[in-house]
Amino acid sequence: MNAIQIKNITKRYKNVTALDDVSFSFEFGKIYGFLGRNGAGKSTLINIIANRIFADQGEVLIDGIPAKENMGVHEKIFCMSEADLYDRDLKVKDHFKWTNRFYSDFDLNKAFELSKKFNLDTNKRFRALSKGYQSIFKLIIALSLNVPYVIFDEPVLGLDANHRELFYSLLLKEFENNERTLIIATHLIEEVSAIIEEVVLIDKGKVLLQKSVETLLETGYSVSGLAQEVDRYCDGRNVIGYDELGGLKIAYVLGEKTALPQGSNLQITAMNLQKLFVKMTEKGGE
Amino acid sequence: MNKLKSAVLYEYLTKVRAIGIFYLIQYLIVALIFAIVAICTEGKETGSNTLEFSSVVFVSVIGVLGYKEDFKALLQNGYTRKYIFGATICMFTLLAGTMALIDTIIGNAINFFNSNYFTLYSSLYGFGNVFANWLWLTALYLVFCSLFYFAVLVINRVGKTVSLLIGVGVCSIILLVIALFQFVFPDELVSNIGEFMMKAMGFMSDGTINFFFPIISLLVIGVVFGIGSYLIIRRTELR
Repeated sequence: MNAIQIKNITKRYKNVTALDDVSFSFEFGKIYGFLGRNGAGKSTLINIIANRIFADQGEVLIDGIPAKENMGVHEKIFCMSEADLYDRDLKVKDHFKWTNRFYSDFDLNKAFELSKKFNLDTNKRFRALSKGYQSIFKLIIALSLNVPYVIFDEPVLGLDANHRELFYSLLLKEFENNERTLIIATHLIEEVSAIIEEVVLIDKGKVLLQKSVETLLETGYSVSGLAQEVDRYCDGRNVIGYDELGGLKIAYVLGEKTALPQGSNLQITAMNLQKLFVKMTEKGGE
Repeated sequence: MNKLKSAVLYEYLTKVRAIGIFYLIQYLIVALIFAIVAICTEGKETGSNTLEFSSVVFVSVIGVLGYKEDFKALLQNGYTRKYIFGATICMFTLLAGTMALIDTIIGNAINFFNSNYFTLYSSLYGFGNVFANWLWLTALYLVFCSLFYFAVLVINRVGKTVSLLIGVGVCSIILLVIALFQFVFPDELVSNIGEFMMKAMGFMSDGTINFFFPIISLLVIGVVFGIGSYLIIRRTELR
């Protein structure tokens, strides 16, 4: 199977269960949004996939090959991490050259071209780069590497709006030219909502949902109006959260939209991905 | 094999600059000391001997960095712990061999021009066998690399408090062993162990010197620390 399969992964830190029997797959050829609040378990799972930490239980398979301590998956996956794992004293150009030696399919010329686009000075040492440019450096490596699965952990950390736009456009172009799986773990949901095809939402170490963005936006909506009327409408429906202001109430619902009762003053509006995320994880946080 | 070669080269070549700076600073200072002492003593004294001690300190630092920086960098680049360990041991061997070669050549050259100067090796075994000198020094540097690599892995694994307790425990055991040798063990046993230790260092009971026993002894110690390091790094997680 061409996918990253996560099977029954559990990870505990002393008394905290960071991941609790998590199972799902990142299929080949899709752009995923891997979403969750701080401490939800995103980075823990990414680190397990990338063989940086070990799961207490369960396993990760990449195209059917166990990912734990296996050089067989070296050319299959790359994880651009939020943490700085690179030698801080090496120059950017030297990092590119070393990555070119570590991987058989790294496009060195592309890395230098992208550096020009982002105005990244390749003669600078990693430690001399600003936080934003350190992120850009890591992004360039990930974009220049031709592996089937690329994970971006908080990819736009410290980037200004222009650089974020440039990154998203390059990412899409990259996906068009060379189909593969791109997994974006981020807090900036609205920014990536136009790019991602499928969402995996994780909270408190458990997967809350895995659905296509299209389906989610079709099935998620909000109903607003007088509190009593809203409550009546929501009776028996899958309500993921409420907002209240005086006598007015907004209910956030997941499920098929049905026609409003005749003479109703209720209003139905589409829900964006960010609101859906907030409400779903609020519910999980209750 | 290419992957391992790339990792070894990465670990080794990113240290070459540091080695260059280390030797440049060391020999500038040594040259200054030699010049001052030579002027003051009219060339009768050298002012400094056994310069290899500073290399021992340097390789120990490399042992620590072998884990601290390279482990993270290679993990970022998709390497497994088995490969990282293999690459680090190869880097230690290359680095120890290179530095031992430089120190052997320079030490013997200084002695050639000024017979008052003695190296760490010559202070134990005398001058004359340059190849054994290089091998012994390589093995010695390897022991310190692997000792500090092992130590930093243990500290990372168990945390600072437990590491301090282990340190106290090791010191206590050393004191206990000394006391046992002095006051408890029978003289014959102490004598036999002493003779074995001397043989391990190459000093035979008939007064001759075996140049290869100390090299083998050092390598055995290095392998013990290496095995310990491997067992720990296989379970080490990124922090």
